[in-house]
Amino acid sequence: MQGLVLMEDVLQFIGAFVAFSIAVVSYKGVRQTKSSSLLRLAAAFMFLGAGFLLEGLYQLNTLYVIPGLEVSVATLLIAGLFLETAGYFFLAFSHMLDVFFDKRMGVMLALFPLMAVNQTSLVVILTSLSFYFILYGVVETLFAYSKNRNPNTLLIACGLAVIAGGWWVSLVSPDGLMLNIVQLLMKEVGLVTLFIPVLRFTFNKKSGWNGPV
Amino acid sequence: MAQYRTQTKIIADILVTARDMNTAGDGVGITTLLRKGNVSYNRMTKLIADLVGAGLLEEHMLEKNAKYKISERGITFLTAYSQFEDFAQSFGLRL
Repeated sequence: MQGLVLMEDVLQFIGAFVAFSIAVVSYKGVRQTKSSSLLRLAAAFMFLGAGFLLEGLYQLNTLYVIPGLEVSVATLLIAGLFLETAGYFFLAFSHMLDVFFDKRMGVMLALFPLMAVNQTSLVVILTSLSFYFILYGVVETLFAYSKNRNPNTLLIACGLAVIAGGWWVSLVSPDGLMLNIVQLLMKEVGLVTLFIPVLRFTFNKKSGWNGPV
Repeated sequence: MAQYRTQTKIIADILVTARDMNTAGDGVGITTLLRKGNVSYNRMTKLIADLVGAGLLEEHMLEKNAKYKISERGITFLTAYSQFEDFAQSFGLRL
């Protein structure tokens, strides 16, 4: 039992590492190109990383590794979930801006009221919002793939879809440690897929730009 | 439908024009930049002033006409743009 909780905890910290790595590369891009898209991407993954970190601390607390934190267990969980939701929001927001500037309809926006406001618990609302934002990200990334035909974009869409699957598991299933692990594993697999562009960026630097004018 | 271009993309397009159309070696004029950059004259003059101010373009006066060359800093910007464009595109975003 404690082993599974520990595993869940390790997965949270791996998630935080992956998210912070993507945030760092994105921020490097902001400094070099002043791109607002990269700024939103950096913000999204900074929030996600912080969210994972707080949820990891929450798990550590349930293992009584950090004795002084007992009083703030609920705060840690809510803050972690809130930051994670904020991260997914920024990810979706970048796509929303593309939708706005391209003057085309964002199909998933119509589903928003159905997804987000039919539950009362704060945790469930945050989970619903995260699920909605990530699903919106999947749809828009797939739409981007239909235009640019970049295999990496398809890979990211699949990664986001796996993360969305993880959120869906947590939304529709009752609480249980094994299900938590399944949900977390799905989120980790998705996040590791998102890490691939960072690896490509690190190992495959091009010398110049010859794109169309 | 024409695709929306971000400010960063427009800047990259201007720098690529200044780099690739400079066949004579003395820089390119504003007419060439306008033709390839596909922005209005007013916006282009403001962008050029900003790019010269930021050190991405170099301005030379040739027989009372201003000519523009890409600077070392501009080439560095294009290299970074290339790398991060690929990165952003992976996430389905435009730089």
